[in-house]
Amino acid sequence: MAVEDFAFLIPLLPALAFVLTFFLGKKLPTGGAIIPIAAIATSFVISLLITLNLLANPEEVVNQSYNWFSMFNIGILVDPLAAVMLTMVSFVSLLIHIYSVGYMSHDKAPSRYFAETALFTASMLGLILSDNILQLFICWELVGVCSYLLIGFWYEKPSAASAAKKAFLTTRVGDVMFLAGIVILFSDLFKIFNGTIPEGVYILRFDEIFTHIPEIAALNANILGMDVSHITIITLLFFGGAVGKSGQFPLHVWLPDAMEGPTTVSALIHAATMVTAGVYLVARTFPMFIAAPDSLMIVAYLGAFTAIFAATMGIVMNDIKRVLAYSTISQLGYMMLGLGVGAAIGAEAVGISIFHLINHAFFKALLFLCAGSVIHAVGTHDMRQLGGVAKVMPITAATMIAASLALAGIGIPGTSIGTSGFFSKDAIIESAYLFGETTGTWIPYALSIAAALLTSLYIFRLLFMTFYGKPRTDYGGHESPASMTIPLSILAVFALVFGGLTSQRFNTFVSETFVNNFVHMDIAELASIGGYHLASHAGHEPILILWMPLIVALAGFLIAFLVYGLKIVNMDSLVSRNNPIYKLLYNRYYQNAIFTNFFSVKVIYEGFAFAGRAIDRGFDWIVKWMSDLTLEAGESLRQFQTGKVQNYATAVITGVSLLVILIKVVMEVL
Amino acid sequence: MLPILSLIVLIPLIFAALTLLTKTKEQARSLALVATVSVLLLTVYMYFNFDSSIADNQFEELVQWVPSLGITYHLGVDGISMPLILLNAIVLPLLVLFTWNDDRKSPNKFYALILATEGAVIGVFTALDFFLFYVFWELTLIPLFFMVSIWGGPNKHHASIKFFIYTHVASLVMLLGIFGLYFAAWENTGTPTLDIPILIAQFQFIESGIAKDMIFLALLFGFIVKIPSFPFHSWLPDAYTEAPTAGSVLFVMLKIGGYGLFKIMLPMLPFTASPNLMITIMAVLGSVSILYGAFLALSQKDLKKMVAYSSVSHMGYVTLGAAGIVSLSVSGAMFQQFSHGLIMSIMFMSCGIINNATGTRIINDLGGLAQKMPKLAVIMVVTFMASLGLPGLSGFIAEVSVLAGAFVSLPAYVIIALLAIVITAAYHLWALQRAMFGVYNEKLGTVADINSYQTISMGIIVILILYFGLNPSPVLDMMLTNSEHITSLMAVMGV
Repeated sequence: MAVEDFAFLIPLLPALAFVLTFFLGKKLPTGGAIIPIAAIATSFVISLLITLNLLANPEEVVNQSYNWFSMFNIGILVDPLAAVMLTMVSFVSLLIHIYSVGYMSHDKAPSRYFAETALFTASMLGLILSDNILQLFICWELVGVCSYLLIGFWYEKPSAASAAKKAFLTTRVGDVMFLAGIVILFSDLFKIFNGTIPEGVYILRFDEIFTHIPEIAALNANILGMDVSHITIITLLFFGGAVGKSGQFPLHVWLPDAMEGPTTVSALIHAATMVTAGVYLVARTFPMFIAAPDSLMIVAYLGAFTAIFAATMGIVMNDIKRVLAYSTISQLGYMMLGLGVGAAIGAEAVGISIFHLINHAFFKALLFLCAGSVIHAVGTHDMRQLGGVAKVMPITAATMIAASLALAGIGIPGTSIGTSGFFSKDAIIESAYLFGETTGTWIPYALSIAAALLTSLYIFRLLFMTFYGKPRTDYGGHESPASMTIPLSILAVFALVFGGLTSQRFNTFVSETFVNNFVHMDIAELASIGGYHLASHAGHEPILILWMPLIVALAGFLIAFLVYGLKIVNMDSLVSRNNPIYKLLYNRYYQNAIFTNFFSVKVIYEGFAFAGRAIDRGFDWIVKWMSDLTLEAGESLRQFQTGKVQNYATAVITGVSLLVILIKVVMEVL
Repeated sequence: MLPILSLIVLIPLIFAALTLLTKTKEQARSLALVATVSVLLLTVYMYFNFDSSIADNQFEELVQWVPSLGITYHLGVDGISMPLILLNAIVLPLLVLFTWNDDRKSPNKFYALILATEGAVIGVFTALDFFLFYVFWELTLIPLFFMVSIWGGPNKHHASIKFFIYTHVASLVMLLGIFGLYFAAWENTGTPTLDIPILIAQFQFIESGIAKDMIFLALLFGFIVKIPSFPFHSWLPDAYTEAPTAGSVLFVMLKIGGYGLFKIMLPMLPFTASPNLMITIMAVLGSVSILYGAFLALSQKDLKKMVAYSSVSHMGYVTLGAAGIVSLSVSGAMFQQFSHGLIMSIMFMSCGIINNATGTRIINDLGGLAQKMPKLAVIMVVTFMASLGLPGLSGFIAEVSVLAGAFVSLPAYVIIALLAIVITAAYHLWALQRAMFGVYNEKLGTVADINSYQTISMGIIVILILYFGLNPSPVLDMMLTNSEHITSLMAVMGV
């Protein structure tokens, strides 16, 4: 049997591990961590073998579909896009699970932790290899509920319970848009088939959807006097889902709070199993986006805006995990921008965006695990109380530096020397330049360059404040155990060299997904439906443009070094704590205040609820008034209300019989 | 052949009478268990011999009764009623098990009423004669009335009377509709009959358009109040909340309103004088119920009342799905009845357990219960997730079928329903967070987790919620057969 036949085991094994760990974990050492670790390791091996096979034979896509109910199916699809995602997710998740053995050793419910993380991984793997949009949505929701359970893992802490709820509800807003998109898509396809769907055709399967893109694009809806193509509505609703899941503005608010769970959960959420789902959704449905007028422009603009918006907050946060959370939001913005520039570069956008997603997974998981290692040893998240940690935790510090170099995107343009982040982020920024050339709008490019400066600034600020200088308080830290430092070292290697080794091969492999594999889409033709003009070739940017990202990254490093490393420049003397811009950033643009007060529970919910209660009382009053009338009329019949079942039964039957006779008489007379 | 349908109706009714004669709790509960398990076994036998590929009535029993008035003893099941009978047959033994160790006054009456309700409800689902249908329909009222008025909460008298009068008035209006149909058909054919399939078939031959619409609306009113749908829902929160836990679960099993919608209303719908108006009425009521119920659930302070309003919201999917008249949405609405029965049973059982353990159901007075009641917490988290429509659990299958199917014909109303989804998630999570998570409220004293009878009975239902969420076909296939039958009729009539 070929390894492809075992593809279904990729999500199934972690799902089984969830059941086993949930029921048996308590009786096993370390909460039964070995069960999910073994399951996910197997998933990883299968994924890797399938990926290697696909690299050699790109046409051997795995696709199996089974009838589920009505006109829906369950199926698996492993094409290059899914294959690289599966491999990355299982790999990163595996390392995080191994690391968690040490990290969760002091917790009182490790078996629940490992059960939930196993389910989390299973849902994400299931999401990736879905061959239809409904199954993808189902796994999407399961990912959401697992994040709810894990963010609220320490549920006895009110802040954790509240953060979990916030995460679920905020992403749920996006989920409803996603569901609405599916519902509209279903109804359009149903109408295209005239309501009679042939046996064996599953209309929500991706290949079926893609085949009908031109017909869906031809349908128009009139919204506020404008003709909007259905494909634009559907893709924007999908994008709404992605905005929620992938923490794009304005639904990013849950992500910084989501660190109430264990730090390993943050690593899972930020790197592998949750926030990447939104980017993946847009990538998976890319043929729809490129055929949708305006959709990709919106994706590009919102991505670029999120990249800079989150980065500005990253530079003022004092909580180590919060800096990383804003960094994730910002980097997700880059990924979305990477997809949005598909308006200029076509299917290649999928390649560069997913490339950044994967590189980001390596270095962001590493950053969180390093932070976890520090927090585990030192017992605080507050960078103002940290400093000089490098002396007590050399491995953690070294791996953290590797991750930071990758995040800042340090490397030499035009060569294959550089960290992973360098190759993928530069590719996105350069494509944004090309996007500017083609469409004439330079805003995404400008924002992405500015965000690159801030990225470098906030991550080196974090490094200097945490690892450099003298300890600011007395803490008895120690280096973490090997079960924690080995995953760190592996991730560090990937953060440093993965990009350089695979850059070219990876992009062509993934970009070909929609052209030469499961489906054969004519991307140029779709782009003409969407009204996009694809650039004829890439890679001829001026030399300054090629060097620009590196220059700004180094500038960010220099500022951080002067201010937080050498402390030559005193930040306090430059910017007062009362500076309005500082306050605006430090208070995160007052978004929490805006969200809780303006869109508030009080205004909307309470208002409706009050009206509802009033209406209900009104109905009650009418009913009571009518029944009082009846009761008064029946006052003389009171003696029958004796409370005995028999009497009531007799009364009902007599009443019915009387009514029968009465009506009969009336009918006779008429 | 064994008259299975008569047996599953009569066994609970006969055992109800026998149970009334018992003296002790042990005798009463044993009899109740024997009766409900027998019904379950017969139903399972029937289920495995049921042909889900045809839309006709099966296991029919037909005996002439009062020929001069056209009354027959006519029973049968089809893909609409089979899943609902199965639902009752599954949940009732588990309900008996759930109450196994409870102490309450007059256990003989308590179990007798449970059995009487089961017999009456299954009677409604199997009756193919309007006389029988109406008798069983009214018979469901009586045990529930006593359930609330004897073992209910502080406002039990108000709630029980309100429930009785409210739904009884609705039943009388429905009865008028039945008579209208009966006499009109009598006039046309010259022979009286109360046979449901015949009368439904005769409906199209009524000449007067106004008469047809009046008959349709009268029947619709009777069913809509029972579902219940906005704006006729206000009996529900009182009755559900004041009822004892077993009573609330029995209320949930009372899926006769939705059943009438599928079995009687939809086949008649294309022949009314103004079918589009009828569809609009149902779509408005359904979508408004979904949103309105969700908002009111959000504003409740009492956990059980919140669950009661969420029930109104969920049942809105039944009305909306029926109005969708696409086979996907109609089958989804039927499945919602089935799934909602399972989910709400556990929701009310959980409310009852919390009330017994802590003495309060006010959400803000609870807190951190998960630490003391870990088993209940797991069951509640799964059920709340099912109730808010999490995929993988049964509620989602119903909701997505209704939303996707109904969007084809009624996009605007589906958008209203979609708005409610976030609110639905909000009140479920809000309640979980306040009641179960966070710091344990020491004022509640010491509370014990659920006992093993409760764990088994709730655990089985949770497994079923999961099972039907992953594999709905065992009940959805027969629903699809019947809904395709109904909707093909509409397509022929060009509705």
